[in-house]
Amino acid sequence: MENDIAWQNELGRRARIYEDIEAGHRFEGTMTVLDYAGMTVLTLVLVLGSWFWGA
Amino acid sequence: MTDHVANGGLAAAEIQRGEASANRAAAERGDAPLLPAERLWGFWEFTYANSALAIATWAFLIGGSVGLFVGPKEGIAAIIIGNIVGVMLTALATTPLSGRYGIEQFVALRSQFGYNGSRVVYMLAVVVLTMGWLAVLAMMFGRSIDGLTALSSGEATNPTGIKMIVAAVGAILVTWFIVAKGPTSIKFFNMVVSPALVILMIVMLYLILQHRSFSELLAMPALSPPFEDNTLNFIIAIEVNLAAGFSWWPYIGNLARLTQNERTAFWPNILGIFGAAALGEIVGLLAAVALGDSDPTIWMTKIAGPVIGIIALLFVAFANMTSMANILYTSIVGLRQVGTASVRAISWGAILFLFCVIPLGLVVFYPQMYDGFFIFLVWTSALNSALAGIGIADYFFLRGQKLDMRSLHGPQENGPYRFWGGFNPIGLFALAVGFAVYVLVFNPQTLASLPAFKYLTASVPSCLAAGAVHYVLTRLFARGRGWGLYP
Repeated sequence: MENDIAWQNELGRRARIYEDIEAGHRFEGTMTVLDYAGMTVLTLVLVLGSWFWGA
Repeated sequence: MTDHVANGGLAAAEIQRGEASANRAAAERGDAPLLPAERLWGFWEFTYANSALAIATWAFLIGGSVGLFVGPKEGIAAIIIGNIVGVMLTALATTPLSGRYGIEQFVALRSQFGYNGSRVVYMLAVVVLTMGWLAVLAMMFGRSIDGLTALSSGEATNPTGIKMIVAAVGAILVTWFIVAKGPTSIKFFNMVVSPALVILMIVMLYLILQHRSFSELLAMPALSPPFEDNTLNFIIAIEVNLAAGFSWWPYIGNLARLTQNERTAFWPNILGIFGAAALGEIVGLLAAVALGDSDPTIWMTKIAGPVIGIIALLFVAFANMTSMANILYTSIVGLRQVGTASVRAISWGAILFLFCVIPLGLVVFYPQMYDGFFIFLVWTSALNSALAGIGIADYFFLRGQKLDMRSLHGPQENGPYRFWGGFNPIGLFALAVGFAVYVLVFNPQTLASLPAFKYLTASVPSCLAAGAVHYVLTRLFARGRGWGLYP
């Protein structure tokens, strides 16, 4: 029972840390418009380039 | 008095350190989200880990399967197209949320399917598929042993004979024994096998190019195209590679949670998983077409005489067992995480063995499964592509990239992810729709397809359909019912 309470407290502590980070917009290394644009461009270049080369 | 106070303070500090260490260990097992300070991997470390995972003998097998449908030029194109789309969508669905919150993948899945629904998904996506992979890898091990004994004795091989079956059964039992000991031995094997597989790949490529130039290889025909329509064969080859890309869905989220942030969780999958897997498959494709057989355990015996063939086969056998140990260990750790109390009460060794029963049965009673390996692979995509679509729709479009750690890890029975008896009917229905769309557009068993398949593939419409259904029905019904804590 004590272990359960201690573990719930630990979960609460970790959740609070993430809530604080989220409220303060302090997530580091988040993906931006550049990342999404980059993955789209990379995918299109590889797909279209491979299609026209190989098909 | 001072000593007593000091000793008491030291003891308390010791206890606190012990608790902190135990809490961190529990978080690493997936019981809690990993805090930013607890993440292990930077960009290049994760890239290396992903590459090591992707360069496995299954890459040779998939590449060889591609060679059945198309020649090398189209095959290389199909490998790149299928893998980049599959890996991109799978990575998007699983790694940003893991990288942001350090959350265990199947705990996060409660937000999409409910706490009981995530268990169903785990059973389908991990348990059933891993059992299939275990059987295939064990058969590959068995065929490697059959091949090298035939090489050394000068006899003919018998790929579905008793020698293969005995060796494959042995491989599963030895894997069970290794994993029962714990992860330390697995880590050691990983450190040896991955670099050695890269060397094997380079040696194989060099030996192939000794006999034929690259342009000669590119001009060679496919081994056994099933249809006269070359475009259809090419799209099937792309579909096999989409399946290969989507097949990472059960595994990469939980690796990504060990990385330092969201961007580091995502991009190394492209370099590591896509890059390394595509390279391995291309070597498998070129070798299969050049040497006339899609099975790596056959073409390795033909590549450069018996001595190199025996060494290569021994190594493939060893590498297979390492892959088997990795996926068995990961699956059981996750199963104990999502399982009920009665599952967690089963001892480690016993639950491992129970997991191996079906793969043992497949090896003994259905050894021909290996020759239709690509059929198994595309069936997995019917599920994984739909899961990726639902994951993207839920996290990015419905939740705005926000998860509630408190609700996801707290008591579930009365929490916001109970949905309906612990199941999210919308998520599960969307999964069924995605699966049905896949099989309707392209039947993995018979290879029959609708005309739309040639323009859309099957994985892409399945992914889109599952995501769209999940999005629309959630918007229409979930919030009104107080389901799922959607904003």
